[in-house]
Amino acid sequence: MTLHGKVVFMTNADDNSGETLIKRLADEGAHFILNSVSDGKDIQESLAYCQSQGVKTTVVNVDLSKSSEVKTMLERVAPQIGTVDVFIHNTNVVIPTSVETCDEETFLKVMDRNTKSAFICTKEVGKQMAEKESGRIIYISSIHAEKPTGSSFVYSVSRGALKLLARESALYLGRYGVNVNAIELGPIDGDDEKFTSHISKLYDDYQYKVPSTRLGNDDDLADLVLYLASDHARYINGADIRLDGGFLLHYMDHKMKKPTVRSESHPS
Amino acid sequence: MNLLGKVALVTGAGTGIGKGIAIELAKQGAKVGIHYHSSDAGAKDTQQRISELNGESFIVKANVMRKEEIDHMVKTVADYFGGIDILVNNAALQLNVELFDYEDEAYDHVMQTNLKGYWQCIQAVIPYMKEKGSGRIINISSVHGKRPTDFDPVYAMTKGGIKMLVRESAIELAKYGITVNEIEPGAVDVGKGKRSEPRDAEEKAKRNAELRWKFPLGRVGLPADIGHMAAYIASDQTEFMTGASVRLDGGSMLL
Repeated sequence: MTLHGKVVFMTNADDNSGETLIKRLADEGAHFILNSVSDGKDIQESLAYCQSQGVKTTVVNVDLSKSSEVKTMLERVAPQIGTVDVFIHNTNVVIPTSVETCDEETFLKVMDRNTKSAFICTKEVGKQMAEKESGRIIYISSIHAEKPTGSSFVYSVSRGALKLLARESALYLGRYGVNVNAIELGPIDGDDEKFTSHISKLYDDYQYKVPSTRLGNDDDLADLVLYLASDHARYINGADIRLDGGFLLHYMDHKMKKPTVRSESHPS
Repeated sequence: MNLLGKVALVTGAGTGIGKGIAIELAKQGAKVGIHYHSSDAGAKDTQQRISELNGESFIVKANVMRKEEIDHMVKTVADYFGGIDILVNNAALQLNVELFDYEDEAYDHVMQTNLKGYWQCIQAVIPYMKEKGSGRIINISSVHGKRPTDFDPVYAMTKGGIKMLVRESAIELAKYGITVNEIEPGAVDVGKGKRSEPRDAEEKAKRNAELRWKFPLGRVGLPADIGHMAAYIASDQTEFMTGASVRLDGGSMLL
């Protein structure tokens, strides 16, 4: 039980990856504070699983881009569940936007949800962790912290800023025994539609751009999250780990392992 | 005179790096819109220095946290000089606040000035550059787009964000003939710290030797260093360069 008795605070528990992450960490003995915009309605299965395993869970629904709300919430839940040992920022809001036409409201919305929330939570859980002189902060970011999308510029900007938050807090909180890292997740199923672009063909045939041709999934992510949360990762700090099966390594002419199209005729 | 006949807008041109850039662009023949927010006297000084070079300039005040002020600034400069060819995004804030002490309002202030402001200045010049079928957008970032600051976490975040703003803008605006790049300066002497002249040759040599431990090239950066690079990127010689990050730090990040 790698995370026996540890308290994990995760944002956006309603995310598709939430169920897999919760189950994996619950199996390792973690307890949870889960921020859920559906107030737990969309994560009933996960909550039932936790209950069956004797895992403590607290579902909250606060605006993570406000220090006062996050601080008050953490203080409120601490007596029942404890202070945070592992923080997982799992918020990836993608809204199609162009540099030329995006409006200010959308820009601020994406930045606040994807970046400001990470900053505010890092500050507030960072104080709890500093007190204990231990803790792990994991941002689930994206390869678009490096590669432009050609379709959702604010998203990439929010991921670029998160990369530097990881480095900055790794340095600052590192002095208190806290490790901070970012996972830059590459393509998983459904991302071709998420980043449809008129400028970039990055996601055309995207499964074949992964050299092994096996697209990643939530289990791949959960494995790395668990590793970073565990004591095995004690010397990893301020890293941004590209988790994309090698997707970003192509330059222009890909020798993709794409299956050749078979002829319809059947030579005898 | 690489930039003869071009119109440039430099934000934060009343002080420091922005002043150095405005002057170097003017030396190359560009007409320069000098933006400032709080340093009125600094902007006038920049204008004076450009006049001494027989250059043309125009001063405009705006708070780059506000879109309507940005739009007004860009329109004013474009109307005055007839279009805009070069935008240098430079106006930025840094606070000296640690993570645990950072208040939400301070976060918004830095984020909206340094990052949202850069984006909205880009957005505002697009119509003018589109019309001409060409344009140069140069963003002054920092080595802190790569390396954390240890003095202002949000400042570093904005510089990390600028890198992706540059890359996204580069691929999106290429169709209009607009290039978008960034310069990442290291420590630059903007004349703020009080630094007495060395008493003698011996002291000067000693100081230079100490500087080599920080800067392989043996000296701190100057606004003119950044200005020379900006003038080069603004020229016609860089038409194939876009989405690039130029670290300009005397090698200091390597030590």
